[in-house]
Amino acid sequence: MLPELLQSTDAGGLLIIRDFASFSGRHLLKSFINASLNRNEAVHVLGFEISKEELKHGLKEPNNQRLHIHDAFSDPLGWTDHPAFTVQQFSFEELTHLITQTSQHKPVNLVIDSLSWILRHVSPTVVCKTLQQLKKGGAVRSIIGLLHADMHQNGTVGSVCHLATSVITVTPGTKRDEAVAKITKRSKSGKVMQDEEMFIINEDLTVTIQNKPNHAGSKRTDSEEQESDPTANLTFNLRLSDTEREAKEKLALPFVFSKEKKTALLHSGPGSGRILYEPDANDNYDQEDPDDDLDV
Amino acid sequence: MAAPVNSVGKPSPERLPLNTTSFQKKTRSKLISIPGTRPSVQNGQLLVSTGVTSLDYLLGGGLAVGTVLLVEEDRYDSYSRMILKYFLSEGVVCRHELFVATAQDDPDDILQELPAPILDDVAIHKPLEQPLLSCEPSNSLDAMKIAWRYQNLPKVQSALASSSRFGHYYDVSKTMEPEIRQAAKCHRFYLPEHPTLSSPTHSPVLESYSALLKSLQDIIHKEGFDVAAPMSRPRNILRIGLHSLGSALWGDDLTCHDNPAHRHALTTFLYGLRALLRSSLAVAVVTVSSHLIQDRALMGSITRLCDNAIALESFKGSERETNPLYKDYHGLLHVRQVPHLNCLASQLPDHKDLAFKLKRKQFTIERLHLPPDLSETVSRVSRGEQAGAAAVASACGSGTSGNKHLDF
Repeated sequence: MLPELLQSTDAGGLLIIRDFASFSGRHLLKSFINASLNRNEAVHVLGFEISKEELKHGLKEPNNQRLHIHDAFSDPLGWTDHPAFTVQQFSFEELTHLITQTSQHKPVNLVIDSLSWILRHVSPTVVCKTLQQLKKGGAVRSIIGLLHADMHQNGTVGSVCHLATSVITVTPGTKRDEAVAKITKRSKSGKVMQDEEMFIINEDLTVTIQNKPNHAGSKRTDSEEQESDPTANLTFNLRLSDTEREAKEKLALPFVFSKEKKTALLHSGPGSGRILYEPDANDNYDQEDPDDDLDV
Repeated sequence: MAAPVNSVGKPSPERLPLNTTSFQKKTRSKLISIPGTRPSVQNGQLLVSTGVTSLDYLLGGGLAVGTVLLVEEDRYDSYSRMILKYFLSEGVVCRHELFVATAQDDPDDILQELPAPILDDVAIHKPLEQPLLSCEPSNSLDAMKIAWRYQNLPKVQSALASSSRFGHYYDVSKTMEPEIRQAAKCHRFYLPEHPTLSSPTHSPVLESYSALLKSLQDIIHKEGFDVAAPMSRPRNILRIGLHSLGSALWGDDLTCHDNPAHRHALTTFLYGLRALLRSSLAVAVVTVSSHLIQDRALMGSITRLCDNAIALESFKGSERETNPLYKDYHGLLHVRQVPHLNCLASQLPDHKDLAFKLKRKQFTIERLHLPPDLSETVSRVSRGEQAGAAAVASACGSGTSGNKHLDF
């Protein structure tokens, strides 16, 4: 499912890459930036955690006109006179203004590196509200955010992920360079899809999907082995040939009635009698117990 | 309207002088008759349907007017949203007025997704009439070759259903026609359209909640849903649907922190809502994403403040999805609380193990059956294990725990 997500970010989507200290999701985030640039879409990056140069490193066209990096790394809290972007500017109005100023009505993808940094300084309710407004707002086509899940309380991570249309949880794989992505995608109709994939991020930030994690596969083979046919090696004949089946079907069995007789028995006609019996309180004797009337 | 309606004997107008007794049948003539409602069999409360017939049965016939139903959302809010939509659809079909409040999606989005009613379903849901059909297609006769005498017996129904019809059936694969939908009067409350001032951190009431409560109060007073209001015009029921209350988008940090600053905001709101509903012809369904609320004690007090509480636990994403026991179902339904209205002991549902499933068209709640264990070895395995464990224990010389079952 990961390649589909990389290829087409649907409108109004909020994708969250959830990572832990054991494996950084930033390479995957960069792959997403690269993929959007390849699709001729404008990308706005709010970079809180690494510098502009580091962010550009490895991108296919680092000086692309459609890539706008808002530097919030050098001065995130506005301590100098001319901060480029501060954490206080993370609001719907400011961001819409910023985006409409610089790009000309193209589909804009907003990349946030990272939401964790914002959540350290802005209350989670405000962050959630802003994300929801941006989703609905129209200036931004899709939002991709990085979230370090082990930096926050479970409830905060849950609330932010609750808003997301797709959540990718990345954890380290068994081999070097390999990582496991657990993907949860919610479609607009409310349907939820889940998938787990092993992937490698190459030098040029493309993503190669390895085979699926093997435990699911091994389970499947187990059940197949168990379901081997017990009738395979028998010393007697259990199957019928066509002629044998015909002969069998011709045979009239005892106590099997014709269709007419069955119908007659099931739907008693107007001439036949019927017993109508409504039990009352005095009638409740038990057929199972023949000594019901005795005082024992 | 949670007080039982008095049943007063009606004097018969044409009284014959002789041959009649003075006994009169009790009638409920004073009962307010509103379409889509019926009195409860147990305590005479006025009930409305939730739109899910099996849920009505579970709640003792329906939702009593004047009460609040809390639905704890499943992880992805797909089934709880469906229950909310069923509840609103039932209101549209019964010509009740609606009030929808949301913070995440526009209320109109929810209203546009309402499932279409199956209005000609009366013929389908009559299992008793099937044996009377005289000319059945012959292939159904062939369906049972050996036990053919049983084939006309009605099928055992696993779905919960009360005997009399109340509430409607809906087809979730289709949405309701706009003409039907627009015939119902609908009030909407979309939080982003209500500019709220930022409230001080330690105020017990959040601005968003008080705005919502204010708007509800206005509608109840203006549109005559007060019980105390003069009976000048035909009465109607107000159905209130509050979606995902307590989420971060309502400005509440209940779900965000282990120790929220607005700890009592939602409970304060629920007290207000309950007080308001008790004296009005209104009924509310509130959904809360309880899996995000870390503080279980807080969730407990939220449950206590609602009259009915059910929780949905979807199998999606849990290991139960692949468990063969649950393969027929989409999730479990827990009844957290049943209403205690004018009584000490409430009627409890006869089953605690309930599961829900979404068939192609319908959402139903069923009893969760354990499949019969037919394998021969199943009861012996545990004994063998116990004996084995005991043998091991005694062999090791530390025979303290496993020796109880050992036969000498």
